[in-house]
Amino acid sequence: MPIIDQQTLVRSVDILATGILVTAFLIISSKSLTFYVRLFAFQSILLGMLSLVIAVRYGETHILTAAVLTFVVKAFTIPLLLNKVIDRIRVRKEVDFSINITVSLIICGAIVILSNSVAQPILQVQRAGSLFTTKVLPISIAVMLIGLFVMISRKKAVTQIIGLLTMENGLFLSGLSITHGMPLIVEVGIFFDILVAALILGLFVFRINKSFETIDIAAMRSLRH
Amino acid sequence: MIFIPRKRLASDSALKVAEAGKNVGFILSCLGSVAGLLLSFSIFLSGQSLHLELPQTTPLGAMAFTVDQLSAFFLGTASFLGAAISLYSLGYTSEYFHKRHVGLFIFLYNTLFLTLVALLSAANFVFFLFAWEVMSFTIYFLIVFEHDDEASRRAGFLYVVMSHVGTAILTGMILVFFVQAGSFDFAALRSNAHQITPTLKSVIFLCSFIGFGVKAGIVPLHIWLPEAHPATPSNISALMSGVIIKTGIYGIVRVSFDLLGTGPMWWGILVLAVAVVSAVLGVLYALMEHDLKRLLAYHSIENIGIILMGVGAALVFNSTGNKTVAALALIAGLYHVLNHATFKGLLFLGAGSVVRATHTRNIEELGGLAKKLPYTSFFFLIGAVAISALPPLNGFISEWLTFQALLLGFTTADLTVKLAIPVTVALLALTGALAAACFVKAYGITFLGLPRSNAADKAKESPRSMLVAMGILALGCVVLGIFPGIALSALNPLSASLLGASMTNEVSLVGPTMILSASPSTSIAPALMLALLAGFAGLPIVAGILMGGKLRTRIAKTWVCGIETLRPRMQYTATGFSKPIRLIFSSIYRARHEIEISEDVSPYFKTEIRYEVTMEHIFEEKLYKPAMRGILSVARFGRRIQTGHIQSYLAYIFIVLIILLWATG
Repeated sequence: MPIIDQQTLVRSVDILATGILVTAFLIISSKSLTFYVRLFAFQSILLGMLSLVIAVRYGETHILTAAVLTFVVKAFTIPLLLNKVIDRIRVRKEVDFSINITVSLIICGAIVILSNSVAQPILQVQRAGSLFTTKVLPISIAVMLIGLFVMISRKKAVTQIIGLLTMENGLFLSGLSITHGMPLIVEVGIFFDILVAALILGLFVFRINKSFETIDIAAMRSLRH
Repeated sequence: MIFIPRKRLASDSALKVAEAGKNVGFILSCLGSVAGLLLSFSIFLSGQSLHLELPQTTPLGAMAFTVDQLSAFFLGTASFLGAAISLYSLGYTSEYFHKRHVGLFIFLYNTLFLTLVALLSAANFVFFLFAWEVMSFTIYFLIVFEHDDEASRRAGFLYVVMSHVGTAILTGMILVFFVQAGSFDFAALRSNAHQITPTLKSVIFLCSFIGFGVKAGIVPLHIWLPEAHPATPSNISALMSGVIIKTGIYGIVRVSFDLLGTGPMWWGILVLAVAVVSAVLGVLYALMEHDLKRLLAYHSIENIGIILMGVGAALVFNSTGNKTVAALALIAGLYHVLNHATFKGLLFLGAGSVVRATHTRNIEELGGLAKKLPYTSFFFLIGAVAISALPPLNGFISEWLTFQALLLGFTTADLTVKLAIPVTVALLALTGALAAACFVKAYGITFLGLPRSNAADKAKESPRSMLVAMGILALGCVVLGIFPGIALSALNPLSASLLGASMTNEVSLVGPTMILSASPSTSIAPALMLALLAGFAGLPIVAGILMGGKLRTRIAKTWVCGIETLRPRMQYTATGFSKPIRLIFSSIYRARHEIEISEDVSPYFKTEIRYEVTMEHIFEEKLYKPAMRGILSVARFGRRIQTGHIQSYLAYIFIVLIILLWATG
């Protein structure tokens, strides 16, 4: 006898997934670097909770492991690391935009609609299998694309990292929704990957700041020649 | 099958070890070449082809070799020249010690031979292309071997670009072939060729002509040749000019005669047209050249033109049904391949000897070398006589056969052929005459007269191994000229297997030294000619002695119009010698003269006169420069998307992703 029944599962998963999408939008609309990091931590907590619910419902231990790893790595370690980087390099805490917030939000809205239409054919194949994916898959695709969009439209190197991590969250979410989570070894690999990526990128931010006296990556244009 | 051992040297710190290693390396490659020569002889004698398949297979086909008569002929040519050049290299590379990496050179040299053998004996296109590419790269490294020279690097770059364009086109040809006939294998392609539609056959032919033409150096794809030949060490130039560019001819003959069979007549007309342009332009540019090796490089273009005249004529007559004349034309072309390899190899080795002794390639700074380098000078003279198509040496025989084939083909009813042939014949005659003029210049300015520079004055004869190598090739020129029957009787079954017809209906061989044509007035006997020439030269002397004259040498001063001493500066220059030809062909050369005269007190006392002439190379100006500008402007346009912003690159990914999602969703 499962602890959570199917209806509770679907409802709670929907709420959490929507929460993840909302945090993605908040990232787009925020102006402060530290707030970026906090939003990302919050998004990761939501993601961890989501996978926890699924793990409990289906009694899958490897999703449980993934959920724990999400809390430890994404919700705690990486934000801590990024905050440290932001403190150490002592730059302006404001985010620089190449596309302003209003336009960004409109574009992200369009992304959500596109993701929804893209997900439909996949859902038609999947519908028989699991029930909670109808809303989660479009959201996960949208979160991935929004993460990429963050990387495009925000200029600070730290925001690039946040964008990348957001993309990864979307990827994890889509993995969960379609396949009940990827095999544990893959998940662990990915966690290790992004941890290292965050470390290395953090280091890069240091170096970029040192060499260019700014972490605005537009300055790296001078490397072209 | 021959395997050529490679010898690598660790370093040239221990000179003796290095010297021994060098000797081992080159002697082994010489032995390998002799083995190759024996192999091709045995195939010609037995009339059977050799097939060998290595146990390793690649996903695209087996590593299989087939040496049939066509392969054997080119292999034999390569081995003959290779043996001589390996011998030559023994002495030639000794000056590289302490300056260059000799071990690397030997490695590249032997790799070049290995790929050459693999290329000529490959039994399928995959393996062929593989060998082709490895060979191209090996040549690149040999061109830039003297890499501290800016010109070498430039030549290497030009070569790589041209060679890759050629390979790309060849790859296209091979793929069309594969799609149409379902195999990469030569044997399978040969039997399936009839399934290919005429249009695609023509596509394949054109691709092969362009792709192989780059390597062969036909005009207008020749531009890499005059840059690459002077840049490489001379033994490699000899190999390149003698053998490597012939792999292009091998490819063209292999594809158009062996694999595709009979094609439409315009193939042959196209080849003839390109051949004529190559021959005439090659020799005209050679005449204006004062760099000894560049001059020889332009002559390679000319001779590729002469070879292709034979091949083109064979294509034409094959399609009009005159199979026997086609056989004769093909034999003439192939015989010229062998002859050109021999005399051009000899000339490049001679040039190498001159460059080694004087460290300059500019013939305006040479002169009087006949006294300093007597053997080199003599061998160079033999090569020069042969390339000028003077009887009784080998160049004459193959050009004579080409004339015969063209004139015999005149009986063809087709009007295009009737128009094309007299033009080809006339221009071939012009080419021969101009080549003779060019070598009068090259030999005369380089070896005769007084030394024009200190370097030429101090020149010393080359080591014995180099002289022996040149001697072998010089002997080859004489033997191939006086006894053409040896090679021709071997070539006859080869053309018979390719065209299904023998040349013996048109010309017949009587013994090794007599060629009988259909009409007695055009028959030829080179040995008799030699005897007559010797006789005519000897007759006056004998007559003089008989009439009571005495043989004695008189030494007297040259009459110098009253000037006290003769100085080297008073001699005829190469520029001056070629002036009449520059005037006659001024529309082709588009030469620009520049004369600078500095005067002293009055215009009657000139202190210094400088004369400079520059030429415009039509194809470089009118074809390559606009093409290059076009490519550059496209690239500049494309560069606009390379902003250097990370965000824009991410945005490209994003946009493509969105489009893909949208298109598939």
